[in-house]
Amino acid sequence: MQNTSPFKPVRDQVTTIREDGSRRFLYPADAPGRFDRARRAAALALIAVYLLLPWVKVGGYPAVFLDVAHRRFHLLGLTLAAQDLWLLFFLISGLGFGLFFVTALLGRIWCGWACPQTVFLDHVFRRVERWIEGDAVKRQLLARAPWTPSKILRRAAKQAIYLLLAAAITHLFLAYFVSIPSVWAMMRDAPTKNWGAFVFIAAATGVIYFNFAWFREQLCIVICPYGRLQSALTDDHTLVIGYDWARGEPRGKPGSPGAGDCVACERCVSVCPTGIDIRQGLQLECIGCAACIDACDEVMARLGRKPGLVRYDSLAGLSGRPRRRIRPRMVVYGVLLVIGASVAGWSASGIRPAMLTATRMVGAPYYVDGGTVRNQFLVRLVNKRSEKVTLNLSVRGLPAAATVRGLEAPVEIAPMGEEVRPLIVQVPRAQSALAIVFEVVASDAAGSFRLSRAMEFLGPEAAPDSPNSHEPGPRSL
Amino acid sequence: MSADPNPHPTEPDVRPHVYDGIREFNNRLPNWWLFTLYATIVFWVGYWAYYEWFRVEPEGARSVELAMTRIDAAKLAATAAVNIDDKSLWAMSRNPVFVDAGRQTFEANCVACHLKSLRGKSESPTAIGPDLTDQIWIHGGDPTDLYRTVTQGVPAKGMPTWGPVLGPKRITEAVAYVLSHHKEGEPIVIDTSVSAPAK
Repeated sequence: MQNTSPFKPVRDQVTTIREDGSRRFLYPADAPGRFDRARRAAALALIAVYLLLPWVKVGGYPAVFLDVAHRRFHLLGLTLAAQDLWLLFFLISGLGFGLFFVTALLGRIWCGWACPQTVFLDHVFRRVERWIEGDAVKRQLLARAPWTPSKILRRAAKQAIYLLLAAAITHLFLAYFVSIPSVWAMMRDAPTKNWGAFVFIAAATGVIYFNFAWFREQLCIVICPYGRLQSALTDDHTLVIGYDWARGEPRGKPGSPGAGDCVACERCVSVCPTGIDIRQGLQLECIGCAACIDACDEVMARLGRKPGLVRYDSLAGLSGRPRRRIRPRMVVYGVLLVIGASVAGWSASGIRPAMLTATRMVGAPYYVDGGTVRNQFLVRLVNKRSEKVTLNLSVRGLPAAATVRGLEAPVEIAPMGEEVRPLIVQVPRAQSALAIVFEVVASDAAGSFRLSRAMEFLGPEAAPDSPNSHEPGPRSL
Repeated sequence: MSADPNPHPTEPDVRPHVYDGIREFNNRLPNWWLFTLYATIVFWVGYWAYYEWFRVEPEGARSVELAMTRIDAAKLAATAAVNIDDKSLWAMSRNPVFVDAGRQTFEANCVACHLKSLRGKSESPTAIGPDLTDQIWIHGGDPTDLYRTVTQGVPAKGMPTWGPVLGPKRITEAVAYVLSHHKEGEPIVIDTSVSAPAK
């Protein structure tokens, strides 16, 4: 087996940064195996989700459409307006607790299986590279080779495809914010007509191209904070990728006396996309891609040895101790996650396509006209959807003798518009009290939702004709 | 591939400080990382030249000040654009575009008290607002009086302060709609008995 990694990773330095600060480019070898296949399937499924979300419509809108221009956010049929953005608290804290929980249980499963950086790099951009330039050995030879027409052609083709892929990813990303038809319309227009979008696309394409063509694992090692959180979020019982030291050491050729199972073939190093040696233990560079497991299992199978010299296990399991799945931190993270998710679900179910508020009109809190007490309110209705809505207004909880004016006609509200209606309530003085709590109710003409708001009808202390009244008199007349 | 120049491979280059038993290797920063530092320095030179040297655009506080002035000017222009003298209000009351827009505002906001017919208490004694179609006015019957009454309201009697709710344009239209039920020069009676504070 040809060794494609003429370097020896050490824990004191980052393999991909040489002593002089220059970059050491990696040529990770192919590692076919069960994890490679499973990871590819997961990646293709995730890419399909990314591609389809802006196209598939749920409830009349794309499944995910973060309409920033109109401040309307459509998520799988749920429409949130700027007024509902407090829900983001639960989304972000939920993601936080979810991350804590998953990391404590399964380590960096996210990095190796679901992170867009890994998904696009390993399963799209590296596949293109593999297809055009060949396997790891050929790629390394090509990198060292002089610039012949053949090399120029291959490199140009690779970079051109990278650019196209980066542009496709970016256009689709933009579609999440402006929707597919708008992206298509802007693509057919002159760039000057949508200058902001054009500059965004150009800049984002440049960044994504640079990231996948050149920067690659540097993002995970130097930029991304997640790897550095690893030591705070994981413990000895977290599932990680590790090397069975007891079984493998001392390393030696097959058949040599006293040797462990590791034959020092360095396959695990040559397949590593971040250039580490997994046999040196858990390191922040490890993105948990499992390539070293597939590589080692293949060698072990060929030698007729048990697979799993490098395997998914906990640090406890790798050192022969029992692995505990349930630890105090799992319970704490899990409870917080469940609480957050429940509150988020409960809050999201209360989101309505319109908003109703009511305030007391400027002026006195109440007016006394002869035998009646009058309160004046202003009902404000906001349509959060981008289609018009008609609301029927009514009140509930007032004495039967009360007269209500201002809510007779249904209110039609323009898409994302706002309407105000005066609400005048009169209650016979004999029936008025210091405060009567009532409800303003708005229901959609189609009967699909209902909004309500509790208000207080205020009045003087007691009716003037009651025998033991102190007659405080109308307050502000 | 690259020969390691460290002459003492067993003694790694370590910084002198120790925190909680943690020591730091004296490894070199990646060149691309240093490049981002140099790039910010280059950017700073350009930024300084743009804002401080050539002053192509006003910076910081000054640009906020200018923006605030522009906003104030736009607000003032919006109020100035509304011509509220008697003559123009009468003219608007004869223009169907203004009257129709005013009717919509009136029907959304005013009918609760003044009724759809505008006749208020004259139509129904239980109505709250006075008749707006007769020649008897309580708070002045000139078009500008109407405009003022609607904008400022009569809080003591319950007429709301519509200025901040409807804005000058919609109030002008609503006044034009009310005036469309009147004739310029018709005799006006000011009823002071009603304008006295109610019981």
